[in-house]
Amino acid sequence: MKKKFSPGAMFLGRFNSIQSVIFAMVSMLLLGAVAIVTVISMNYTRTSVFDNSSLYTQTIIQQMNQNIDSYIDYMENISYLVSSNEDVQSYLFGEETDPEARGRILNQFKTILDSRNDILNLGIIGENGRMLINNAQRLTNPDLDIHTQEWYTNALEGSASSYLSSSHVQHIISGERPWVITLSRGIRNKSSKSENQKEGVFFIDLNYSAISELCNQSVVGNQGYAFILDADGNIVYHPQQQQLYNELQTENISLIMGTDKDTVLSGKGSAEKLYSISRSEKTGWTVVDCVRVEELLRKSNKAQSLYVLVAMGLMIVALFFSRFISRSITQPIQQLCDSMARVQEGDFSVSDVVVDSKNEIGSLTKSFNVMTHRIQDLMEQNIREQEAKRKSELKALQSQINPHFLYNTLDSIIWMAEGKKNEEVVLMTASLARLLRQSISNEDEVVSIGQEVEYARGYLTIQKMRYKDKMEFQIDVDPSILHIPLIKLVLQPVIENAIYHGLKYKESKGLLMVKGFRKNGNAVLQVIDNGVGMDQETLDHIYEKHKVNYQSNGVGVYNVQKRLQLYYGSEYGITYESEKGVGTTATITIPGNQEGQQ
Amino acid sequence: MRKYRKWIAAFLIICIAGAAAGMIYYRNATGGERRLSMIYIPKVVDGTNDFWTSLILGTQMAAKEYNTEIEVMAPEEENDIEGQNRILKEAVEKQPDAILISPSSFTESDSLIQEAKDRGIKITYIDSYTEQNIQDITVATDNVEAGRQLGKFAASILEPDDQIAIVAHVKGVSTAVEREQGFRDGLGQMADNIVDVVYCDSSYEKSFKLTTELMEKYPELKMVAGMNEYSSVGAARAVKTAGAENQIQVVGVDSSQEAVQLMEKGVFKGIVVQKAFKMGYLGVEETARLLRGQNYETEIDSGCQLVTPDNMYSSEIEKLLFPFNTLKTPKTNEKGEVYP
Repeated sequence: MKKKFSPGAMFLGRFNSIQSVIFAMVSMLLLGAVAIVTVISMNYTRTSVFDNSSLYTQTIIQQMNQNIDSYIDYMENISYLVSSNEDVQSYLFGEETDPEARGRILNQFKTILDSRNDILNLGIIGENGRMLINNAQRLTNPDLDIHTQEWYTNALEGSASSYLSSSHVQHIISGERPWVITLSRGIRNKSSKSENQKEGVFFIDLNYSAISELCNQSVVGNQGYAFILDADGNIVYHPQQQQLYNELQTENISLIMGTDKDTVLSGKGSAEKLYSISRSEKTGWTVVDCVRVEELLRKSNKAQSLYVLVAMGLMIVALFFSRFISRSITQPIQQLCDSMARVQEGDFSVSDVVVDSKNEIGSLTKSFNVMTHRIQDLMEQNIREQEAKRKSELKALQSQINPHFLYNTLDSIIWMAEGKKNEEVVLMTASLARLLRQSISNEDEVVSIGQEVEYARGYLTIQKMRYKDKMEFQIDVDPSILHIPLIKLVLQPVIENAIYHGLKYKESKGLLMVKGFRKNGNAVLQVIDNGVGMDQETLDHIYEKHKVNYQSNGVGVYNVQKRLQLYYGSEYGITYESEKGVGTTATITIPGNQEGQQ
Repeated sequence: MRKYRKWIAAFLIICIAGAAAGMIYYRNATGGERRLSMIYIPKVVDGTNDFWTSLILGTQMAAKEYNTEIEVMAPEEENDIEGQNRILKEAVEKQPDAILISPSSFTESDSLIQEAKDRGIKITYIDSYTEQNIQDITVATDNVEAGRQLGKFAASILEPDDQIAIVAHVKGVSTAVEREQGFRDGLGQMADNIVDVVYCDSSYEKSFKLTTELMEKYPELKMVAGMNEYSSVGAARAVKTAGAENQIQVVGVDSSQEAVQLMEKGVFKGIVVQKAFKMGYLGVEETARLLRGQNYETEIDSGCQLVTPDNMYSSEIEKLLFPFNTLKTPKTNEKGEVYP
């Protein structure tokens, strides 16, 4: 199982694992919760901010309306003050213009004009053509028919005590055409007989400084503004009056005039505006505060972006948290799985899984530990038993000595004794005795190469004496390998095999050589004969079990090979090379670095 | 399912990155935009001429609203073609985003305007235009229509055989040519009654002089029609001075305080007023839209309106004749930008 690194894998683990399932579910749950809470609070904030803001705007605009009312009130007071003045009566309606009254009136006008810079003009005009405007210094417009001016005729003919005009151009002063709002008041001639007939008009022209200031004070937000409509829906004041007059800007005036509500929404999208409306009983004007909804909601947008930020933070935390949860649940399971996999492959070294939880997984792990230990014990026991079995089998094999060999040797000794060959008898008997001792009395499974070579030498001595004219032998073993341990009864069966299968059938006298040396860190023993050799077929079957040399001590090459490989491993053992008519070489290879065991 | 996990992780990362980018964009979108620079070159700056005053006021108000720096550079006389070209050169050197110009000459400024255009400066024509079609935007009164309105009105107050004289401003200038053409159209058959056309070179004095000469030359003259403010006011002055306001009716194009007064006095029988404020305002507005890559119109007719003594005090006409100047008390935010 190859693990590839990927950021996804880091976070999600294997997707088909319990961990990723838990991770997915927990994180979905958490993310969903965060998202829902965020959306709800965003909506709630939006609505509440909007409600609060429109309420606030409403309060502001009502305040502004009151301010404008009291402003107009104030101007009405001035108009009342002036028009009820006796001097005005005597100046306008007297038989002749009274210069003293004129002076006093001008004084009063001067006081008013000096104290109020929002009053552009004020004056009195009589139907009889007498008029007094401002400081009486400026020329009046000689070409203007005053009766074409609404502010004049309405004040004169209307029933109300005063008349407030909408925005209009004041033409009365020659050379000036300012836009003003005019408050005019009819003046009765007290000496006249007809009570209700007004014969003069007092007027105040208001420039926009006071009104624009009042409107600017009542502005909500950076882009909000306030404007005033008269009873017919004409613009009285608007911060962009000129643009509106030139049809370059529009306000939804019909909507404002048509509604009964205090607030109306107009437009769509980013152009959506909230009109807060307040109508004045006194002036008949409609005061409107306009604010862009977008701006109104800027606070809520700020809050919303904060929510989104926090939500994103929470989501990241939630992701880590769910990863943590899923890991803490599945980590022990994962460990257990990994351990099981390794145990499955035969590695018991990691079988002790650390358990720190006491839940089901903890007890599962404990059971697993107990189980693996038990298996480990059983396997070790099994190995020990196998070993013991192998040893006893080996012993059984080694302890075998071919009775025929013993009889033949003993026969040879008898024949020699009969032939009075005392010395040979002694040598052969001594060799036999040594052979027997080594084979029977030595309990050790392993001997040294030296001992094995000596045993071979004894055996060869006997055989050479038996086949006097048939064979000769040489032993040439490197003394440095003599101490290396070697399992018993290896060399002798190979030599026996060489004699009975190689040299025995040779016409002339044969030579058998035993060589011992080191090669590539291994110890190598070679049994070389120049007998008849073997063909390939014989060579192929040489390790087979049934090829037991019945004439020998019953330990065949198969037996030797099996024991060597059992003991030293499969890369060691015995190999044969042979050529028909030339001879055979048997090579025994064992590890060369074993500790001496004598 | 294993192979999807990479994608799921990538999707999550993209979501987070997208949300972050969105926030940043949202913050930036509410931030400021580049302040534009424009130069407006009218034919003249003259406090007595309401047409140019209103037009310049319009450009300035629109400039405040559209976050634009506008500089007005103008010759002192309306017919100063050389002076205007010199100013145009200066303006090109300043390398503004756009030059708005009311060309005095139909032909003489083309090469300079082309040069400005080659330098990447946007060109907007206000009120008049030139021979070649170099401009990006044109905002002007439909002068043929203005002339036609005046002609129709003139026809309505004249007897069939009354003699008519035209005092035009500058020979060859687009506005003069088109208004005259429209005037003749409006008069219909009575166009044959036109006895003379004279050019006052946008000077009150010359117009006064020419009109006086016309009155001497054609004793039966019943109407003088001025084709701009200078020519019509000059003509009205001459008629008033001669005390002939009852015999000779004066009609004209463009108003001023003096023109309004002369109408109150009964000298002017009708004036076709161009919507100068609107013209200036739209010129800057559309140019700003062009520069900011928004939708804009290339040809705009700002419109005109006939004013007579009967309707001159009506609210609609007052709105046109007398500018409501709120520029003195602009409402600004802390950045100095004017909000709508």
